[in-house]
Amino acid sequence: MVTNTIIRYVKKAYTDFATHVYDVPPRMLAFLILIIIANLPFMGIPTNRLGVFTTANLIAILAVSWDLLVGRTGQISLGHALFYGVGAYATALLYKYFSWPWWTTIPLSIIIGLGVALIIGIPCLRFKGPYLALVTMAFPLAIVGFFYYYRDIFRGETGLSVKQIFTPPIVSYSQRPIANYYLSLALLTISSIIIYKIATSKTGIVFVSILDDELGSKACGINTTKYKLLSFAISGLFGSLAGAFAAHLTGSANPRYFIEKTALIPTEYSLVPIIATILGGIGTIYGPIVGVYIYYTLNGYIFEYVISGVDQPTRILVFMAIIIFLIIKWPRGIARTIVEKLEDLQEPREVEEILKEKG
Amino acid sequence: MHLLEVQNLTKRFGGVIAVNNVSFQVDEGEMVGIIGPNGAGKTTLFNLITGYLKPDSGKVLLKGEDITGLPPNKIANKGLVRTFQIVRPFRHLPTIANVLVALQSHRGKRRIEWIKTPERKAMEMLEDVGLSDMALEPAEILSHGDLKRLEMARAMALEPEIVLLDEPFGGLNPVETEYMVKSIQRMHLDGHTMVIVEHKLHALMKLVKRVLVMHNGELIAEGTPEEIAKNKKVIEVYLGKAV
Repeated sequence: MVTNTIIRYVKKAYTDFATHVYDVPPRMLAFLILIIIANLPFMGIPTNRLGVFTTANLIAILAVSWDLLVGRTGQISLGHALFYGVGAYATALLYKYFSWPWWTTIPLSIIIGLGVALIIGIPCLRFKGPYLALVTMAFPLAIVGFFYYYRDIFRGETGLSVKQIFTPPIVSYSQRPIANYYLSLALLTISSIIIYKIATSKTGIVFVSILDDELGSKACGINTTKYKLLSFAISGLFGSLAGAFAAHLTGSANPRYFIEKTALIPTEYSLVPIIATILGGIGTIYGPIVGVYIYYTLNGYIFEYVISGVDQPTRILVFMAIIIFLIIKWPRGIARTIVEKLEDLQEPREVEEILKEKG
Repeated sequence: MHLLEVQNLTKRFGGVIAVNNVSFQVDEGEMVGIIGPNGAGKTTLFNLITGYLKPDSGKVLLKGEDITGLPPNKIANKGLVRTFQIVRPFRHLPTIANVLVALQSHRGKRRIEWIKTPERKAMEMLEDVGLSDMALEPAEILSHGDLKRLEMARAMALEPEIVLLDEPFGGLNPVETEYMVKSIQRMHLDGHTMVIVEHKLHALMKLVKRVLVMHNGELIAEGTPEEIAKNKKVIEVYLGKAV
């Protein structure tokens, strides 16, 4: 009797769930992925390896902001690590020379990142397409040279050390990676929701119109320069946020934030967001997160730790082959393909319905 | 005061004079056609008026205000709106969002401040051109005829003072042309001022009361469709000289 009731209840809950999954596929999928990655520290990954996924979360913020600028607005940037590095260095310099606590230096460095985005954006966004890509690529390289030259202030290749957010009285050393991981995950969740909201708002529609046809957008009376700059600023803001937290979670700000070399293959923080975004689905906002996780799980965890016995050249070859295979198999992005498959299962919505929702 | 006044507009590309000393006026509520053989400079003239090209000399006045050399978006916000010969839809966006972009501009926002839902306004614009069934489909799956109509809806969403239509019938089949002629007539009856560049003389002559003829960058004739059809110079330009 009781078991029957329970079985009936479970069945009803399951059918409810199954029908509602199709109602809002992207949201449901995002929720499931969030549950999985929130449980990562308890899935047999050693605590000292969690740093890889902390970096993945922060790079995912960078990738999502890159996707807003490139995938949604069509302004190609090949030097997005600039914002990541500026955020990290700004917070580190403020800590070093004024020894302010992290909750003042991080907001300040975000504002500095925003300022840099505006200063660079105003002259750069006059360029279009590949020319813009080349100009943006030059900035991180130039700024690293600048830091090397004035090594008294910026400490050259070694970089600056920063006080970590979680210190022993509050969190013990052994628990610190877990705390770092959850802080970065919370940041990723909040920033990607904000960026997704922007991208699907009416401002986001204008961004896409610039991507599709700038002249057509102008004919609609849109001040495209203003909107391009807005996109650049939002992108720079979130990029520097990721960088500022990266400095505080790893305890240092160094030129690796502009040009990073991991043990397995040298990767640049300008390049990872691009690969990850294409892997996950460009212009989707949720795609880059999936892409970054695939990239870091393979590059930082599986090939670096799980099968570290194999010699390095073989690992690099296999890693590259897998990435190329994934991109060839799903050229529109893994996440996008899955979401589109789910949306096909859904009943098409009527225009009137949507208008009613809007009131 | 004329609604649109073009004074001695000239544009050179190297040695070619694309538009040579063109002057004309359009009054409120008028529908004017501009015809001419290929390469006559009709589209260049439109580009000069709407700010896509800067003229070498001459002036464009909208309601007596000098708008020469302003960027295209500012000119559109002042109420001088154009469509393109080659359609320029936003392919990644749904059809309705194409219209929403126009409503998001300075002028669009001002015009609809009393409506809370720009979506509803956009739907109305799409219904006017008969595209409401396709509202949620991405613009890239629309046919060429639909895109031409979408372009009209997008221009009309700005509630323009004057619309410049660059070959609205280009690439349309007879049925679609007929539909487009009716749409334009309806918009004209609503009080919109229009300037139309067109090759399909048959469709154009039904619509307009006044025709300007361009050839080699110059205005060579002006008059009612009947006068133009009999004009010797125009016949020469289109068919060649009698031997």
